[in-house]
Amino acid sequence: MKSKFVLSLVATVVIVLLVAIAACARPTPTPASTPTPAVSQILRVNLAGEPATIDPNRASFAGERTVILQVFEGLFGFNQDLSLKPVVAKEIPSVANGGISADGKTYTFKLNSNVTWSDGKKVTANDFEYSIKRMLSPELAGDYASFYFDIAGAEEYNGAADKDAAAKEQLRNALGVKAIDETTLQVTLAQPRPTFLQIIALWPAYPVREDIITKFGDKWTEPPNYVGNGPFILTEWVHQDHMTFKQNPNYWGVKPKLTEIQFKMVTDINAELAAYKNNELEMSRVPPGTEIATLTDPVLGKEILRYNELVTFAFQFNVNKPPFNNVKLRQALSTAIDRSAFVDKVRGGVGKVALSWIPPGMPGYDPNLGKEYEFNVAKAKQLMADAGYADISKLPELKFQYADTAGNRTIAQFLLGQMKENLGINLTLEPVEPRAFSQLVIQEKHTWAFLGWGADYPDPDNWMPELFGTKAGNNHTGYSNPAFDALAKQAKAELDNAKRLQMWADSQKMVMTDAPIVTLFYRERFVLVKPTIKGLKTTGMDGQVAGDTFLSEVFLAK
Amino acid sequence: MHKYLLRRILWLVPVLLAVAFITFSLMHLVPGGPWDREKALAPQVVENLNRKYGLDKPLFVQFGNFLWNALRGDLGVSYSFQDRGVTQILLSGLPKTATLGVIAFFLAILIGIPFGMAAALKQNSAVDYASVFFATIFASIPGFVLGILIMIIFSVVLHLLPTGGWGNVKHLIMPSFALAALPAAYIARITRASMLEVMRQDYVRTARAKGLAERIVLLRHILRNALIPVMTIAGPELAFLISGSFIIENLFSIPGVGRLFVQGVFARDYGLIMGSILFYAFAVAIVNLIVDILYAVVDPRIRYE
Repeated sequence: MKSKFVLSLVATVVIVLLVAIAACARPTPTPASTPTPAVSQILRVNLAGEPATIDPNRASFAGERTVILQVFEGLFGFNQDLSLKPVVAKEIPSVANGGISADGKTYTFKLNSNVTWSDGKKVTANDFEYSIKRMLSPELAGDYASFYFDIAGAEEYNGAADKDAAAKEQLRNALGVKAIDETTLQVTLAQPRPTFLQIIALWPAYPVREDIITKFGDKWTEPPNYVGNGPFILTEWVHQDHMTFKQNPNYWGVKPKLTEIQFKMVTDINAELAAYKNNELEMSRVPPGTEIATLTDPVLGKEILRYNELVTFAFQFNVNKPPFNNVKLRQALSTAIDRSAFVDKVRGGVGKVALSWIPPGMPGYDPNLGKEYEFNVAKAKQLMADAGYADISKLPELKFQYADTAGNRTIAQFLLGQMKENLGINLTLEPVEPRAFSQLVIQEKHTWAFLGWGADYPDPDNWMPELFGTKAGNNHTGYSNPAFDALAKQAKAELDNAKRLQMWADSQKMVMTDAPIVTLFYRERFVLVKPTIKGLKTTGMDGQVAGDTFLSEVFLAK
Repeated sequence: MHKYLLRRILWLVPVLLAVAFITFSLMHLVPGGPWDREKALAPQVVENLNRKYGLDKPLFVQFGNFLWNALRGDLGVSYSFQDRGVTQILLSGLPKTATLGVIAFFLAILIGIPFGMAAALKQNSAVDYASVFFATIFASIPGFVLGILIMIIFSVVLHLLPTGGWGNVKHLIMPSFALAALPAAYIARITRASMLEVMRQDYVRTARAKGLAERIVLLRHILRNALIPVMTIAGPELAFLISGSFIIENLFSIPGVGRLFVQGVFARDYGLIMGSILFYAFAVAIVNLIVDILYAVVDPRIRYE
């Protein structure tokens, strides 16, 4: 009796201890949370989660880009004003310097001869050729492959998954990408694309190493295999916890000032802010809805960094579903929304009222466009009457769908209030789980839904045809305007930049008049930065971390 | 006993199969797939992705492939963490989650049982009321509220502990306490109720009547029998604790397995969902089996044929 009891106790303890011992077998040392002295030049920021992949040819999310930007450099980069600058390329090709053929289809990139990989080898045109071909291959299934379908043979090769190996090899060899010699890369397009330089400047076309990828396979993205040509190298990746970057000893450019960067993977935004307050992070976001409280906080209020992003938030109609097929009704709803009340009262002045689609900071932004949608209840009611709904009670039920997140909930409730207050419409809100919402919208099963768009590259070419062209990939409104399509087709290939931008301006006017969307606000980034951080340079296209394009210029000071 | 054990272990196979089948069906019934993003991917890109991950095949083929690979210890690929297999992801997270779970389990027992005993022995006293009061508080405060509360106190105000992450003992204190609060409260209440019940039994009176020292009556006759119901709940609690908590791991940035399942569901990461659910099912089944065996050891009235 007694012995059995003892036995059971012992058994319990042994099982539990075994698990505990197994658990302690692999401890991972990390520095404790002692505040770092300012002279140490270590920057700790939050990546807000583990990246899905840091393979440049496959990556597509903001956090992944943030990592890649530290370790790799492409042919071109972006200046703070988002103009292009040559990086690995010697100069920006143009028709004048012979880099672009007169028909706009052949690009010849001259590379700097002193660019090195972090293991000391030379970066050559072959690395770019290999990278672009790999990125376009159907087996790799890179998310951004479709951005490069202007390259001769790209779409065919990427769509050749069904074909046999020989046919694929043939298509691969036929691609319009060729290293002429060590420092000359030639790319041939199927049709002219004036924004091609910006597209080739993006991370999917950064050079990668064939020998390393062949040798390590999927494991090539783990340190120390992750060889890049940028200012930093990835020295440690504790999955789901943090990444550590140190200076690249073989960096060919100006050495960064930071000796170390740590990307933490804190997924909870309240925990991120707490870590910032406990001096574990040098930068932090604030939970949505706490902007006003942060602005008035005596300490945090002085550590706020704000800047405009190339992101527009809007509501998209399904223009094929009554009553939203009625353009007057769409215009009426757009006019009945007090956008400044939203920005000032709901968001504490963070963000900018959006009356048109293309955001400020991007070529093609027109501050005078969309004035007809400025908040005006009398005009909205008149438009409702013109639409045939002078009597609101005759209006069928209006439903609004949105991805159910904290930020979107506030927006949806604001819209509900505006509709009720200004037009007497009882809007029905339909929150949907985020992935299911994306599918709903992609399949155009929504009626009136939330829409957010951020820039891949700073040109209207990335903002107009993809969203408003008939049956375009991200056109979920069902909007179709032959005049728009014709103009967009012309603009996409127009080599005269002034003419091209004018065409996009005209096309945006068409869209704003037809009102398949209601623009609401342009997003503003709102982050806390410790006063010790100096030299932070931000752009409207920063990824997960504010200023991540120029982290090599950041330093710490007392 | 051996026969019983063998039967129970064999039963694991149909149970895990059923769990796999139900999970697989539910996961494909939910609207939205792994490639449905705010920014729609090009149709050709989606086609290539489906082909790469075998999602272009009929569902029963996909299920068959999964089972075949799972039998060989390969739980497939994750779309949210593309360069590491699901098996590897689970294995690297498991020790961290288990460490935290075991510590929390011991904390819960070390807090719960003494408080429950004290409350029962001094029924209707201040000790009893205080213990019931705290048990009720900790049982009703959600984990994330308690977690954020202690994080504000110990990290933001006192600067004593790191807010999260993994590495040394300091990282374990807050999350294990936050995890232990609910089971500790639960164990305290069960211990109290069960002690009160046992203390009224005839054999306790007999033990006292034959003149045994009160300490021996308490330890040998009351406590031992009173702990049987506690063990019933302690087993599942341990299974629950070592399989991790989404909320606590998310809040304290613990690189464990607790958040993988929820992350997998949000991302429609079929590989991660299947892998983690099978792991949970296996863990719960095994722990339950161990608890059932321990019953027989502790309680002579229970016999398995």
